[in-house]
Amino acid sequence: MFKIDISSTIFFLKNLKKTLFSNLFNTIITLLIILFISVAISNTFAWLLFKANWKVVISNLPLYAFGSFPPNEQWRPATWMISLLLLSIFTLCGPEWKWLRKNLLIVWVGTIPLGLYLLYGGLGLSPIMSRHWGGLTLTILLTVCSSLLSLPFGIVLALCRQSSLPLIQKLSSIYIDVMRAIPLIAVLFFGQLLIPLFLPVGIEIDRVWRAIFAFTLFVSAYIAEDIRGGLQSIPNTQIEAANSLGLNQYQIIQFILIPQALRIALPALTNQSIGLFQNTSLMAILGLVELLGVGRSILANPEFIGQYIEVYVWLACVYWMVCTIMAVLARHLEQRMTINQANF
Amino acid sequence: MEPIVIAKNLTKSYTKGLRALDNVSLKVNRGKVLVVMGPSGSGKSTLIRTFNGLEAFDNGELNILGIKIDSTHDERKIQKIRRRVGMVFQQFNLFPHLSILENITLAPIHVQKRRQIEAEEYGMYLLSQMGIDSHAKKYPSQLSGGEQQRVAIARALALKPELLLFDEPTSALDPERVNEVLDAMRRLAEQGMTMVVVTHEISFAKDVSDQVLFMDSGKVIETSPPNIFFSNARHERSRKFLNQLDKH
Ligand SMILES: Nc1ncnc2c1ncn2[C@@H]1O[C@H](COP(=O)(O)OP(=O)(O)OP(=O)(O)O)[C@@H](O)[C@H]1O
Ligand SMILES: [Mg+2]
Repeated sequence: MFKIDISSTIFFLKNLKKTLFSNLFNTIITLLIILFISVAISNTFAWLLFKANWKVVISNLPLYAFGSFPPNEQWRPATWMISLLLLSIFTLCGPEWKWLRKNLLIVWVGTIPLGLYLLYGGLGLSPIMSRHWGGLTLTILLTVCSSLLSLPFGIVLALCRQSSLPLIQKLSSIYIDVMRAIPLIAVLFFGQLLIPLFLPVGIEIDRVWRAIFAFTLFVSAYIAEDIRGGLQSIPNTQIEAANSLGLNQYQIIQFILIPQALRIALPALTNQSIGLFQNTSLMAILGLVELLGVGRSILANPEFIGQYIEVYVWLACVYWMVCTIMAVLARHLEQRMTINQANF
Repeated sequence: MEPIVIAKNLTKSYTKGLRALDNVSLKVNRGKVLVVMGPSGSGKSTLIRTFNGLEAFDNGELNILGIKIDSTHDERKIQKIRRRVGMVFQQFNLFPHLSILENITLAPIHVQKRRQIEAEEYGMYLLSQMGIDSHAKKYPSQLSGGEQQRVAIARALALKPELLLFDEPTSALDPERVNEVLDAMRRLAEQGMTMVVVTHEISFAKDVSDQVLFMDSGKVIETSPPNIFFSNARHERSRKFLNQLDKH
């Protein structure tokens, strides 16, 4: 129940009056700002409700969601995305049984093979080439696959950078520093245009996977740095304790260092994946018809020409919504970890 | 009398010319308790950390449980020693991301390859010995210092060691928490555990130890039974140190 504390409200109003309307000049400024804000808000709403022509969004909803996926097979990506959404809701509000919580992680990882199966088809579903994938489905697929691939790669890079073997240490340092010095778009260009030239004739990796690899190469360098930060903040006494228990080097890495480094780096890692989600929109420039790409191709259609604002406002809302879901999930994860082990 | 620790002329310097250990020789037999005392910086930690290979040394010879190591710091031999020697640290050094029981079962499961159920059963037994079995599911940060140190002792015991090393196990504890840890150590000594204990707890040294070793600037000044060391120490340096301890 909401209870409004009357005395503090009055105090707040009095305070407001004191700061905003203390003299003539402040009063004028305040009034001008109020006028400006109300005009801006009413214009925005007038445009959203009356002037904008939302047909460009409404009549193309399947296109935004699935790209050019064959219409009678669109239940497949739809199933995948709905199961992701349900899983998110379940993760946030579901019951707290321990065995369930433990298996939730496996279920989350399992959504990737499920998604790939539903998209590719085979085994009873009609096969569909990746060039037909698109829209939000493709955006989410790029994000999920690249995040999941770059995590182990980033961990390995971070460990190599801490290694005592000078050659491995140098190589991984160079890799990380170079990747962090190149803009993402250049790495993506490399993935789309140059990789096919380097591969022997006859071997072909499709565009979606080339994009996923390029994102993985890029993001894992950043993840490696986040994890290195985590590794460095683990006190040496932890390694001594593990050593004196007879654990060997690999066991120490596996059971002591990586779990602690991941927990410390968790906020940074979730930021990386949200950033990755937003950056998948760069692929629109490189010819993948993901969410932004769909928007661009719809705008190229003579029927909807010139309706940029509607399309981009709509796309911004979709990106915002997915990012919010990701951020809420991330915060939930962090909170659970701190509850589990008090102030570790 | 079966010797568990034999050190011969151990010498070590961290920085050139400054000896953290200077020709240290000592012997501890099975079932005996050696207490190591000495002013800050005298090399006590360095000494007992050489016993399980956490610290290498420059010269001399060490024989732990019949395994001989020297300045070459042979990793395979050290690994063998670590499986049979437990260590308890001043700052507990529990693993913060693991529950109390997981802290204890980690090494038995992964070093000794015991079955999880078996390791957990024995872990619970050790925790009940230490009087903290009700905390098994908690995490280290949810326990008091004294409780954490008793967990650390249980963790060291989980590998069924033949020698236990303690480096100032009560120095980081509130005064009213010191006795719960010392009592646990007393019980271990009564059960015949061989222990090397760096501590400034005089009452513990008097009641429990068989020998007191006094160090200063990396050298062993004297090794005496506790009744002699505390009433009538042989060396001027030891008496001065004890006087200062009494003043605190
Ligand atoms: N990692 C190190 N690097 C350099 N010098 C060290 C290192 N560890 C210890 N020393 C030096 O070696 C000497 C002995 O240190 P040690 O920690 O063994 O003393 P201690 O008797 O345990 O002292 P305290 O009672 O303060 O724990 C000291 O002079 C110390 O400065
Ligand atoms: Mg010390």
